[in-house]
This record gives sequence, structure tokens and C-alpha cells, in this order.
Amino acid sequence: MTLVLTLVGLSVVLTFVSAVLLASVLRDEPPERSNPRIQPDAGRPAFFGYDVPRRRGNTASTVPVEVLLLQLERHVRLEHAAAESFHLSPTAAALHMPTASPLIH
Amino acid sequence: MAREPEFLAGLDDRAATDVLALARPVRLEAGDVLFCLGSEASNLYLVERGLVALTMPLQVGGREENVLIEERIPGQTLGWSTLIPPHRFTLTAAAPVETELLAFARDTLVQYFDRRPDVGYVISRNVAALVGQRLQVFQAMWLRQMQRIVNQAHA
Repeated sequence: MTLVLTLVGLSVVLTFVSAVLLASVLRDEPPERSNPRIQPDAGRPAFFGYDVPRRRGNTASTVPVEVLLLQLERHVRLEHAAAESFHLSPTAAALHMPTASPLIH
Repeated sequence: MAREPEFLAGLDDRAATDVLALARPVRLEAGDVLFCLGSEASNLYLVERGLVALTMPLQVGGREENVLIEERIPGQTLGWSTLIPPHRFTLTAAAPVETELLAFARDTLVQYFDRRPDVGYVISRNVAALVGQRLQVFQAMWLRQMQRIVNQAHA
């Protein structure tokens, strides 16, 4: 009887120690590795600038902000003109008329 | 003014003159800001001379920049948030060149519309046309961008 109680006691202690060690290991891992599914944006289409993947040869580091602002201004003017054209004559072709914007090409 | 003011379209000369008499002139030097995004909208503006640039903030190269969204030329109206709750400007307006405008205070306009509901109706319809035009143009711009996102996702 004593032997059985000793074995049961030892099992409880060993289980407890294993649980503590496992919890410690999981806590030490970086969050992104412990739950990789917490990155829903990884493969999703981007809506805003900070999500948009950088394009080779046209990144903020290579294009001065002033040049980028001029490109943005031109882009907005072209898009506005295309949208106004759609407003005057709404067709699918007018809506998706190609643009000459340097930000797209 | 180079063209007929768009928000007075459909009014007879006498009514248009009465409405214009409600305004006070505003003069901006190049670089002056007329109103800022988020500020209380209490005046509707009519551009008489010059140019007004409407901008919105965008993060560019790690800093906030005001990016041009639209421009207003003589005869055009801006600041319709003055007549539409919650009466907050949704863009920033600045004058890239020396500009003259007419400012119509909301209280003055509303009091006049109470006296002349026929004029108020015509002007409200004109303002609705401006708001609708802006909505449809921006809806088209948004959809064009959505199409690019879809193309990019399926490239």
C-alpha cells in the first residue's frame, strides 16, 4: 500500500514539474512563432500604404519625398479626371480606363 | 468671376444678387490656409478669383504630408459641410496663389432661407448636386483602386 501511495505521489510531482517546464518553454518563444496564425495580413491584399509591398526601384528610400509628392499629385489628378469621365458617362469601360500614372506603371 | 457660381444656378438675377449680398469678402495670400480638416464648418465659400487646393493628410516617407485631392476655381463652391451635419470640414483648404472668395455664414444663409424658402430650395438642390458629384467621383476612384488590388492579388 505504501509503495502504491509513493508511486502515485511521485507521479503527481513529476506531472507538475513537466507542466511547469512546458509552460516555461512556451513563454520563452517569440509570440509570432508560438502562434503563426496571428498574422492575417501576411497573404492578404493590402488596402493602405503601410501594407503595400514595396516595389523594386521605386521605394521611399530611392525616391525623394518631394518627387513622390509630385507623383502623388499627378496620380490624383489623373484618377480624378478618369472618375469624372465615368461620372459623366458611366460605363464599365470608363470606370476601368487605364491610367498613365507613374505610381501604377 | 469667370463663370456663373454653381451654387446659384437656377436663381433669377434678383435672387442671386440678394444671396451674394449676404456674403463677406475673404482675401488669401499664397500659402494661406482657409480651413483645416476637422475644424468647425461655419462658412460656405465661393471662389471669385485665384485657386483653392483641397488636401488630405497622407503618410509619405514616414511623415505626414497634405496631398492634393481636388482644386476649386472661380465660380466653384467649397465648404458645403457648413450646411450638412456634423458641420466639420473633411478636407484642408489652402490657397496656392493669391485668392479672393466670398464667405457665406451658415446662420445668415439659414435665416435667409427661412425668409425665402424658394431660394433655399434651389440652393439646397445645387448643394445636393455638388455633394452627389463628389460622392460619385470618389466612389469611382475607390473602385478603380479596388480593381488594382484585385488584379494584384490574382497576379
